[in-house]
Amino acid sequence: MTKEVNVQEFNAEYSSGLVLTDFYSKDCGPCKMLAFVLRDVEKLHPGLNILKVDFDECKDLTEKYGVEGYPTLILFKDGAEVARMKGLQQKPAIIRMIEENA
Amino acid sequence: MSGIIKYAFKEHITKIQAKAEKEMLAEFEAGKFTFERPLVKQNVYLINPLSAVVLFRTAEETAVTVTVRGKTKEADIRHTFPKGTTHILPVLGLYANYKNSVEITLYQGQTATATIEVGDVLENVAVHRMETTPEYMQDNLIFLTPANANKAIGVDYAGDIRWHLTIPCAFDLKRLKNGNIIVGSDRLTRLPYYMSGLYEMSLVGKIYKEYRLPGGYHHDQFEMPDGSLLALTGDLNSDTVEDICVLIDRKTGGILKTWDYKNFLEPGLGKSGSWSEEDWFHNNAVWYDAITNSLTFSGRHMDIMPNIDFETGKLNWIIGDPEGWPREWVDKYFFKPAGEGDFDWQYEQHACVVTPNGDVMCFDNGHWRSKVMGKYLNSKENFSRGVRYKINTEDMTIEQVWQFGKERGYEFYSPYICNVEYYNEGHYLVHSGGICYVNGEPSEQLGSLVKDTDNAELKSITAEVYHDKVMMELETLGNYYRAEKLKLYSDGINLDMGEGSVLGSLDETKEFDTDIPAEAYGEFMPESCNASIQEEEDRLVFKSRFEKGQLVMLLLEGEEGTHRYYISTTAVSHLAMCVGTFYDTDERNTSICISKTGLKGAYDVRVIIEDKKYETGVKITC
Repeated sequence: MTKEVNVQEFNAEYSSGLVLTDFYSKDCGPCKMLAFVLRDVEKLHPGLNILKVDFDECKDLTEKYGVEGYPTLILFKDGAEVARMKGLQQKPAIIRMIEENA
Repeated sequence: MSGIIKYAFKEHITKIQAKAEKEMLAEFEAGKFTFERPLVKQNVYLINPLSAVVLFRTAEETAVTVTVRGKTKEADIRHTFPKGTTHILPVLGLYANYKNSVEITLYQGQTATATIEVGDVLENVAVHRMETTPEYMQDNLIFLTPANANKAIGVDYAGDIRWHLTIPCAFDLKRLKNGNIIVGSDRLTRLPYYMSGLYEMSLVGKIYKEYRLPGGYHHDQFEMPDGSLLALTGDLNSDTVEDICVLIDRKTGGILKTWDYKNFLEPGLGKSGSWSEEDWFHNNAVWYDAITNSLTFSGRHMDIMPNIDFETGKLNWIIGDPEGWPREWVDKYFFKPAGEGDFDWQYEQHACVVTPNGDVMCFDNGHWRSKVMGKYLNSKENFSRGVRYKINTEDMTIEQVWQFGKERGYEFYSPYICNVEYYNEGHYLVHSGGICYVNGEPSEQLGSLVKDTDNAELKSITAEVYHDKVMMELETLGNYYRAEKLKLYSDGINLDMGEGSVLGSLDETKEFDTDIPAEAYGEFMPESCNASIQEEEDRLVFKSRFEKGQLVMLLLEGEEGTHRYYISTTAVSHLAMCVGTFYDTDERNTSICISKTGLKGAYDVRVIIEDKKYETGVKITC
């Protein structure tokens, strides 16, 4: 399931199970493309929690996790970062990251 | 065919040149051209306006000498061609904006003179000063290959340009054993500067072969003793760039051997100030040493020159500042400075050379001049130089035995590009090609990246040094990638007839496997996109302008399916731009090259912008 979250909502959601966080910006072409990629990823992993975090509006989170650009994907497992990808990615690479850390 | 989109089909240059050559030969056959009245064709091969071909027949077999009269006697360019009765002779060394006198002299016989008038044909090139003597330079030229919008030139002892290419062949230019030259092609594969391959050509401009490389060509090539070619390349489908070298078969263009630098180096170690995850090594040179059967590379973004075994790829040693490297690497591969003389490490160097006695030279750009961020030098405090190190691989010590340029400070400083050449003991060429001032001060930005609004002054200085005395110094406006001293003519004919060939291959272009749901809009792309499609036999190049942040995808829709290519509209910052010839300062402009390898049949070209699929009206055939 994919949902847009603010800081409070992120803090409530990220600490349980496998959570993929997409740090994005609204005016970013690669971010828009990644949204469609994640849509396809979600079809293959319907139980995966995908949180979309606006880079410009959630500075607390970007600073906390050292996110320097967008798009950045961070995979959390029970609240701990287990993997990270910077820039636009294609579906196979994201699937591989998820399955290696499941 | 196209609607609003500009479309053109461009034949490969070997085909275009073949047609021009056929026309020339047909004209030659149709007329009775003699020594007194030869056929004279200027710039036959369309890319060197300072050249011509003279054609005539003689009743008896004879050798012929062609002399392009210089503006002074010492500037004459002369060559004697092998004997024959049919004479098809390349004329090299014409002047621009000049009525050139070309003398044709039969062996032990008469002389006839032809006049070849050349107009204003030089593009974006200017020589500021040339200090040498004709006795020293003789009929050699200094050849310079471009780093900006300028194009390749050859400059004589008087500072006159006697050779010029009007197509943007970039990177390294060398003379092969057969007398031809080898230089980067002008066909951009991927921004900022990965070219389709290498051209082997005559200096008259005729391209004999293109050696296409699946991973593109960049920076350097080297002819092996057996004639095969080393070339620097990459994997265009990888996340990293400029970290592969290949050995090319000269007959087929096929790849004989591959070295992937990730097999002997660890990306992320020994970072230079310009390091990036993608361009972690930034390979700009390769040198083959027959004595040790080894390859030496130059990696700008690690400040190192590593040496590996040619056969096994095993790492032998590394020349570079070991600060910050893990202990096990330093102990095993790095050298310790020894001796009493001056010593500086090299930083972000270019163009490694191994001398006949095993010393290692390079152009030490000196960019950042430290492995520690807090100790980086700015341009005004810095220096660049040619340097020669003596290494001892038994006790792993290194000594600096020669340098030129440190004493000139920032005046000779180039943070990128450049090269050194070894001619003999004590006899070297040192080319500082990337000197840049902004508002009168040494620039922190690379010359290839400065904008027109920066009040920038770009120049290059090439010095030939003989036992520490400067025997030649050339200063040009603009940055130039490398310099090479060569004569215009090599032994022999210097021009073979027949169509050139295209060897090797291009790799499949990586597709994007995610679809964008877009409504078929049924309209052509907006005029504001200023879109164009250039189709070639082996690829297509799509150029267009988009606003930052737009979602864009190019589609090739055919009977067998749809191929998708994502186009990024994000501005990319560069820490390295060795050849800015193709760099577009307008960040909205995009360019994508799609190889036809792996595609078959006819495809309609369409473009998705945000949620609409636009027509281009263009159909391509693969």
